[in-house]
Amino acid sequence: MTLDPVTLEILNNKVAAVTEEMCVTLQRTGRTLYVKETADFACALAGLDGRFFAYPRSIGVSGFVGLECAPTIEVVGDLEPGDVILTNDPYYSHGLATHLPDLQVIAPYFHEDRIVAYGWCFVHCSDIGGRVPSSISPTNHEIYQEGLRIPPVKLMRRGELNGDVALFLNANSRTADANMGDIRAMLAALDTGSRRIRQIIAQHGTETLLDAQAELTTYAEKKARAVLGRIPAGTYRFVDYLDDDAVSALPVRLSLALTIGDGTIHLDFTGSDPQVAAAMNIPSRGRPHAWLTLRILAMIHTLDPTAPLNAGLLRPVSITAPAGTIVNPDEPAATGVRHAAAIRVNDVLNGALGLALPAVMPAASSGTVIPVVVAEPNDRGGRNVQVVEPMIGGTGARQGVDGIDGRDSGISNLANNPVETVEAELAIEILRYGLRPDSGGAGRWRGGCGMELSFRILKDGTNVLGRGMERLLFRPWGRNGGRPGLPGSLVVNEGKPGERWLGKIDVLDVGAGDIVTFRTPGAGGWGDPRERDPASVLSDVLNGFVTIEGARQSYGVVIVSDAVDEAATLVLRAKCTSEERVVDFGPERAAWDEVFDAGAMDTLNAHLLTLPLARRQRYRRDIFAKTLGQLPEGFPRAAADEQAKADARDDFVRTVASLKG
Amino acid sequence: MNSTRDPLAAPVSSAGVRIGIDVGGTFTDFVLSDPRDGRLVFYKEPSTPDDPSRAFIVGLKALLDQAGLEPQDISVLMHGTTIGLNAIIQRKGARIGLVVTQGYRDVLEIARSRMPSSFDLHASKEVPLVPRSRVIEIAARFSSKGQMTLEPSEAEIEQVAAQLSALDVEAAALVVINGYTAPQAEEDIAARLSLAAGVPVSSAAAIWPEIREYERTLVACLNAYVQPLIKRYLENLREGLATEGITAPIVVTASNGGSLNVASAMERPVETILSGPASGVMAAVRLAQAAGLTDIITFDMGGTSSDIAVAKAGSPALATQTYVGGLPLVLPVVDVSAIGAGGGSVIWVDPHGIIKVGPRSAGAKPGPVSYGLGGTEPTVTDCYVALGYINPAGFLGGRMSLDAEAARAALAETGRRLGFDGSPSEIASRTAEGALALATTGMASSIYKVLAQRGLDPRDFVLMPFGGAGPTHASLLAEEIGLSHIVIPMAAGTFCAQGAAAADLRRDFVRSLRLPLEGIASLRLAETFQSLTRDGMDWLDAEGAGQARNFEHSADMRYAGQAYELRVSLPGADLDATRLADAFHEEHERIYGFRDAAAAIELGTVRLAAIGITPPLPERPIAVPTSSTAVKGARSIFHKGAWIEASVLDRAALRADLRFSGPAVVEQEDTTVVVLPGWSGRVDALGNLHLEKVR
Repeated sequence: MTLDPVTLEILNNKVAAVTEEMCVTLQRTGRTLYVKETADFACALAGLDGRFFAYPRSIGVSGFVGLECAPTIEVVGDLEPGDVILTNDPYYSHGLATHLPDLQVIAPYFHEDRIVAYGWCFVHCSDIGGRVPSSISPTNHEIYQEGLRIPPVKLMRRGELNGDVALFLNANSRTADANMGDIRAMLAALDTGSRRIRQIIAQHGTETLLDAQAELTTYAEKKARAVLGRIPAGTYRFVDYLDDDAVSALPVRLSLALTIGDGTIHLDFTGSDPQVAAAMNIPSRGRPHAWLTLRILAMIHTLDPTAPLNAGLLRPVSITAPAGTIVNPDEPAATGVRHAAAIRVNDVLNGALGLALPAVMPAASSGTVIPVVVAEPNDRGGRNVQVVEPMIGGTGARQGVDGIDGRDSGISNLANNPVETVEAELAIEILRYGLRPDSGGAGRWRGGCGMELSFRILKDGTNVLGRGMERLLFRPWGRNGGRPGLPGSLVVNEGKPGERWLGKIDVLDVGAGDIVTFRTPGAGGWGDPRERDPASVLSDVLNGFVTIEGARQSYGVVIVSDAVDEAATLVLRAKCTSEERVVDFGPERAAWDEVFDAGAMDTLNAHLLTLPLARRQRYRRDIFAKTLGQLPEGFPRAAADEQAKADARDDFVRTVASLKG
Repeated sequence: MNSTRDPLAAPVSSAGVRIGIDVGGTFTDFVLSDPRDGRLVFYKEPSTPDDPSRAFIVGLKALLDQAGLEPQDISVLMHGTTIGLNAIIQRKGARIGLVVTQGYRDVLEIARSRMPSSFDLHASKEVPLVPRSRVIEIAARFSSKGQMTLEPSEAEIEQVAAQLSALDVEAAALVVINGYTAPQAEEDIAARLSLAAGVPVSSAAAIWPEIREYERTLVACLNAYVQPLIKRYLENLREGLATEGITAPIVVTASNGGSLNVASAMERPVETILSGPASGVMAAVRLAQAAGLTDIITFDMGGTSSDIAVAKAGSPALATQTYVGGLPLVLPVVDVSAIGAGGGSVIWVDPHGIIKVGPRSAGAKPGPVSYGLGGTEPTVTDCYVALGYINPAGFLGGRMSLDAEAARAALAETGRRLGFDGSPSEIASRTAEGALALATTGMASSIYKVLAQRGLDPRDFVLMPFGGAGPTHASLLAEEIGLSHIVIPMAAGTFCAQGAAAADLRRDFVRSLRLPLEGIASLRLAETFQSLTRDGMDWLDAEGAGQARNFEHSADMRYAGQAYELRVSLPGADLDATRLADAFHEEHERIYGFRDAAAAIELGTVRLAAIGITPPLPERPIAVPTSSTAVKGARSIFHKGAWIEASVLDRAALRADLRFSGPAVVEQEDTTVVVLPGWSGRVDALGNLHLEKVR
């Protein structure tokens, strides 16, 4: 190292603070909900290699520390002082942008005619055109439907706005003014970064700044390697499923082989499903992309919170993400709701890491984020559209600690909306917004409870949207004998005439008086529930997280008049049969796996990738239709008898085997 | 809402002796102001944390003796306390219950549904103030327009009251959804419940009728949580004082920089919980104003951390989003932000050989290595000692001597782990200077961020340090930020007590309206202000305020469809729609750089501050120093890698006309001021020490 340990730490402190000050500037001057309330933005400083050497810790989107600016900068070519690059396209920017509403800007910071660093910001803008308002719909199947594609262009030339670019932008958005407001806020943030970089150079010199960029990333890399070195070497496999891809009923498979050794980690996603004809593809371009490594970063940070947040953390991480799969789609796959798949990627990373580090990693969290939206007719002939609540569930239990009820920061850490502000804006009455008893997976340590939101519609002609509903079928899994959480659900007019249990919805039509109830899944438990301290079960019952019936059935604990009946509990617990599973996915997944054999699924997915893109989905649907046709309608939610499953499995394995050659 | 005249609240005479008392963790500080002869008397008594009123009474008697005054000479006691804050942080408040609208039992469990960290898989959520087992649902509800859509029957009240009684609670809070639209109706339900259950039930909407159920619930729960404790303490205190013949009214300082009388403080103790830091900031703002300075950054550096606050045009910035013991508080409070290291912050080396300062603190015990109380890890204070900033023999006015050699040895050991070469002495100096530079960088970065949130540039401000280490560290910090002016008041150690002695009476009132700014909005606004002003007047009367009163008006507004509101100060209560709109457009343009003249505007929460003005403390022209020479001698301090000779001055001997240049060290009873090379010092007529960067 050329920098002494004091100077390096001073620079570490300063450059991280610069990114936070950039964020503060952006948030203060930004204009839209995404910036102000949900903080869906970030700022960072990139080195000459285009990778971030400084990233904010306490504000903005936390997961994008691994993004790369270099491909975008290369496309634009020569840069001059005052230039600012704009892009939003996942393919042209090689994964810097991951869906079109994220407007990305990069400014070169010059000192004495040479570039010494780059400032970077992004904001999720309200609308960038495309088929639907807000530009995002799970049912888009090509990126062309998702709005204006902006390849890397100069938004600013030598400090002047490029009017042609502005014309294109304004002509292609439903919220052009708001977008320009947020772009101005990003420019203000880039200015803040530029000013502070000049100040650092004045205080410490250019060479110190450049040395610090290299050495801070090396420092982070060393810390990451030290953490990874503590994990037992080996290869850990984990497979999880999305319930479906929003345009068909077929589950979407995510398969991971995670190999640890010698302070490095390799993620092999081979065996994951081909890219889907819907908008949940993750455009990683085959790199250790932010959306494929979020849980790794969180794990490193958990085990060493002092590690600086920069690209060095990801240097020990390598990846295999076959082209044409959901984790590395080919152009022009739609990517608008890539976070829906990223939630499940988080689960497979968590699951595989948990096999290596059972004492550190939790069971599955609830694994869903549903912005419940109401669109109601207004007096002006249009519609009021408003998020009621972003519905999440809880976090999984881990060794020694219960999961957290009704909170989950796994993929995003959004604030909810006060019920009173929602009722002031919309003609609905929110009847219940609370935790869902008995939903958390049973275990020696209990999984976090899911949530319930129930509201009465007061206006006819209202629509309810619940995009992002997941884990209605495949449950959040439990660990080391812990049970899975309850799946989510949606019901209209529960317990009333005209009760309707619905699955996933895109747009639901409701009228005045209808009562809509969303329930999110509970998270997975950890350890054998019969080993849970009866006093903890009693406490859960007194607090209402578990019912008396739940205590009896799931924990074998008998509670009478607010006390544990110890004798009856002993008897009951002795009668329970144990089913120790390392991972308990729940009955639906177990049934699915019995038919759709893991090895055959790997083979099928490898074969599908050899087919032309245009034929893959049809081919895949046909194969599944054939096998599922031999099983009861609604399988695997609907149970099938053992013989039917065995026959179907044989048929599936035979079909796949015949594909070879 | 309704204030009735309290017999305990005798009018506060502005003519009599005022005494400010601040109960801190280590010392209870007293400041006595006698307007008859313009005297200020200071006194410190070691605190008695098991029963803070003991040190209060003992110290007060000693103070009176020292000043040669009798109990009946006191016209008012102005008191700051951290009892409420400590109870919340340690979760040692009362056993309380919560009654909420049916369907909302989880209002505290869900909170705003965020985790403290999205990167820490082992992070946990805050412990709710009221466990779910003590939350009861009630069939009561309002619509967003203020109609009662679910009215609790007598049977319902009886049933909820029975449940409440069975919980064996000392107090309870009531929160009805949309209660902010009908605070009186909610207060009536609380009264019925209280009567039936036989415990005090505070209505959230009556205390703070602002939209947002979770935050309002917390205000009510925090209030109930600290109420029994504070009530007992104030009652004990009053009794104890009475047996000593002291019957002067007690006024309690508030988090908003003002104060309230004992009866109000017992009713709404939640308004007092952040009064400690607020008082210090208020004292700094007043002293700065007396010295003709209106834009300051206060810098309070203590043992475990450093805090700053910003004042512009002579008023401190208030925040309505702050955290107490991990819980958000929406009441307006003087905005104090933690910015990093304190004197006790530990200096350490990570496994990769990189230096770190804090966040762990050595605290008072074992404390810094130089204290000789068993501390083995060097701290920021040890760096001051090692670099000659602090005279080891003169710490705390000579009452404590420090072991400089032990500090240097510990720092040399740290330096070796950093890979520094040279003699132990060289390594120690280099390590100490590096650690201070790192600590300074952390503080400066935080200041940039705090000011960026308000769109301010720190270089437009004067730095006003206080606390034990503030004046020692101030010029390092000013150099790093690029500030050119530092003002160090006399007796910065008893700042909070001074702030208390001069505090105005102040209470904030809110009402959430949520109307489009057209048609009847300006009428409704005027009506609301009238009603709030009446409440404010009643309150000030009940507090015994004099006729010097002030009312500050503001409103939260936004463009229709915008997701966020902007707080706009208003010149008065009676504004037509055009002037309201103008005020909003102007503020929007100032903050965001644009206005949207065509867009509809919505009026949100309306705010009124009712202020009873307390006469300022007498200005105290600097006394003629008793000692003829200010220069006590010289000693070496380490700066930029070399030992340099600094003159040592005695603060008590500094005359008003004296000017000197750095490097210098000014020693005073409670702290040491370091003046770096390139800075000059002067003392103004009021005794404030000004340090200015030589251009």
